[in-house]
Amino acid sequence: MERRGQVLKACIVLTAKLFFADPQWVIPSIIAPFIFTLVAFFLFGGQATSGSFLLYLVLGSGLMGMWGTTIYGSSNSIGFDRWNGTMESTLAAPVPLSWIALGRVLFNTFEGVINALFILIIGLVWFQVGFGIVSPGLFFLASVSTFLSLSAFGLLMCTIILLSRKGGFITNSMEIPVYIATGTMFPVSILPIVALPFAFLLAPTWGIEAIRLSALPGYAGLATNYWEDLAILAVETLAYLGAAFVLFKRVEAYAKRNGTLEEY
Amino acid sequence: MRPQNPEISDAIVVKGLTREYTTRSFFGTVSRVTKALDGIDFVVKKGELFGLIGPNGAGKTTTVKILTTLLTQTSGEAYILGLDVRKDLYEIRRRIGIVFGGERGLYNRVSALDNLRYFSDLYGVDPTTAKERIPQLLKAVGLADRADERVEKYSRGMKQRLHIAKALVHDPELLVLDEPTIGLDPGGARDIRNMIRELQKQGKSILLTTHYMFEAEELCQRVAVISKGKIVALDTPSELKKLVRDISVIELRTYGATVDYLEALKRLPNVVRVVADLDSEVQTIRIQSPLGADLLSLVTSALPSDAKIIDRTIKEPTLEDAYLRLVEE
Amino acid sequence: MALRVFWGAFLFGRKGLIVWDSWEMWVMQIVITPIAQIGFFALLSIYLQYPATVTQYIVIGNAVQSMSFAAVFAVANITSQDKWQGTLPSTMVTPANRLALFIGRAWFQVLLSALIAAAGLFYAATVFGVSFATANYLGIAVTVLLTAFAMTGFGLLISAVGLYLRTAMIVANIFLFVTLLLSGVNFPVSVLPTWLQPVSWAIPLTYGTQAVRMAISGSSFTALLPTLGWEALDAVVVMGAGYALFKGFENLSRKTGRFEEY
Repeated sequence: MERRGQVLKACIVLTAKLFFADPQWVIPSIIAPFIFTLVAFFLFGGQATSGSFLLYLVLGSGLMGMWGTTIYGSSNSIGFDRWNGTMESTLAAPVPLSWIALGRVLFNTFEGVINALFILIIGLVWFQVGFGIVSPGLFFLASVSTFLSLSAFGLLMCTIILLSRKGGFITNSMEIPVYIATGTMFPVSILPIVALPFAFLLAPTWGIEAIRLSALPGYAGLATNYWEDLAILAVETLAYLGAAFVLFKRVEAYAKRNGTLEEY
Repeated sequence: MRPQNPEISDAIVVKGLTREYTTRSFFGTVSRVTKALDGIDFVVKKGELFGLIGPNGAGKTTTVKILTTLLTQTSGEAYILGLDVRKDLYEIRRRIGIVFGGERGLYNRVSALDNLRYFSDLYGVDPTTAKERIPQLLKAVGLADRADERVEKYSRGMKQRLHIAKALVHDPELLVLDEPTIGLDPGGARDIRNMIRELQKQGKSILLTTHYMFEAEELCQRVAVISKGKIVALDTPSELKKLVRDISVIELRTYGATVDYLEALKRLPNVVRVVADLDSEVQTIRIQSPLGADLLSLVTSALPSDAKIIDRTIKEPTLEDAYLRLVEE
Repeated sequence: MALRVFWGAFLFGRKGLIVWDSWEMWVMQIVITPIAQIGFFALLSIYLQYPATVTQYIVIGNAVQSMSFAAVFAVANITSQDKWQGTLPSTMVTPANRLALFIGRAWFQVLLSALIAAAGLFYAATVFGVSFATANYLGIAVTVLLTAFAMTGFGLLISAVGLYLRTAMIVANIFLFVTLLLSGVNFPVSVLPTWLQPVSWAIPLTYGTQAVRMAISGSSFTALLPTLGWEALDAVVVMGAGYALFKGFENLSRKTGRFEEY
């Protein structure tokens, strides 16, 4: 277990260093959230004058920022090794690939939290949104839980990357569908019925509900309460983690049989 | 930790190793089966520096990938330090260091120090040990002064030295070096070879693959020649050279030699093989023939009037001559 | 010779530099991404209880904007791909006509971008209920092609920057997001602050979205001409600037040795 901790720490540190060494980090961290918030603000138009509505807008944009970074970063976390030529060295290490991926995904999702914070700051400063969160403690708990569920989801996305060199395109194309299905900017209740099962199977949907329930005064949401939302989120997150670890083993075995992991 | 197989005390044991690649059509049916390895056998003793040479596509890299647990074999057995490559993956990985030739394989946007720290963590090296060992490794490979620079600023030779440091960060018993001097200038390549020699003196077992025959001849105690997935010869370099003891080699250094001259040489009686490097200003041509010095007059008379021989020597056949005969037959 | 370079660069741009040889890529680019993008903003409009005309406005804008990834990002990435694969020096050392090389590589993306926008408009009609009853189809087709050409010009401009700077892809990404905000995609340019509006009108997509909306509502080709004329001018300026940058950065890269830096 201690060794796993050492590996996780090493992967988080390396991912952080690579992230800051590449000037492109400014896009998902600052530029994208800012633009999305601006677009949403102009779209919300006259309605964006009430404090809680603005807070709703800012929370939604923040969550989109988190999602985008998680999906982009997670798909990149192992795919990066492939085009960088370090896949062989990574595979040759005496530690399961899933733990290496987990370390990277954790950093990428954390970076998503920073995105969300940037958006909150933009909301506070630029749009002068009142920071009247109903229950800060519950809000914090819901935010951390959503962060963990995003990490677990990102880990699952990694397995798609490992299986195919088109995996990066596949996971990046999921970005907007996931914004829709998890209700970042509008409740999932307005989605067509056929889309609802997919929405409910995404753990962050419940995290977003819990965040709104704890932050927005008078928010009605789905028919569940805060604790029910967190419970569903926890169960689904554990399911993602379990599936990810199982799939990683299969993926590694498949790659070793076919010798394809290093080919970009 | 799994117990080693008590009967296998060698560094590497390979028995009947086969690897097939299957290409499938769009509909999933098998369209082609390629045999990259066809039942190879060899043993590398502990403390030995063993060479694996062969042309491109012969199966060297496939062999290396199987032995380093990156690829599974279709059939056959392979043991690394007594551990089965199919079952004991993580234990094997802890005890071997791998150097892949070329510029890729490092995190270029961070420093050499960051690269070594990262890999030492992946290999579970105790942090206190790593803190001592990493500076020593950087000094040993001549990168101590530039350890904090981003790898992307390194020359190819420096990157290759960093590859070696990376492979040693966990003090492995066995090193697998896959064409470690490829693309390096003569000075850089010489430095790498010196390091390899030094590592062997320290008691490490080493499997080296290379295209450079003189390198295999200089470094390796035994060499296996692989061609089209099969081992066609395995012995010490001196014994392998005896395969071509029936020939001598006339080595010419010329100005102005052309492909036409090579063709003329090939048509001379008793010429077994002509190998040449015509790209330089001074060309090197090696003519294999049992006639040896008796062929000289014919060789000289075949030279066009606008070309010039500046040096000629009769040499004993080298490992390269033996290798060419083995892979071309 | 220039034509040969152009055609060779066109074929290579299609095959060598962007991975379009799998059905998954095509499905992602032509089906999933446009529908998702249009759907997101359409649902937002419905949630905000805007009238159907506003939702239609947003749907059409996003349908046209959906071409931006292929037109701008993928084209801007050509130089980065060349750098990463190590083929940039080999390309730059040839005596190939630079204009043919410059434009040839991106032409496939012009066609692809137009196809994506056309697919987006198809979904606008079939999935999102936009009425094409009085549409001027010729006007739509010309506008989409011209917009694809012009936006690819932006991609080439950014690609030229990529010869020298490593941050070209950041610029491409930012530009993609900026079009969502400034090009009349989700709301009219007039909603923006006055000082920002000239920037909007420098982007070809702004004319494109406006012209497509006019064509769908039945405007004649003559009525579209002024808008299309400005867009064509914009395209020429952008392409010209891109080519000038390409030559300029090529020379600068030769002086500073920046070709190989990825």
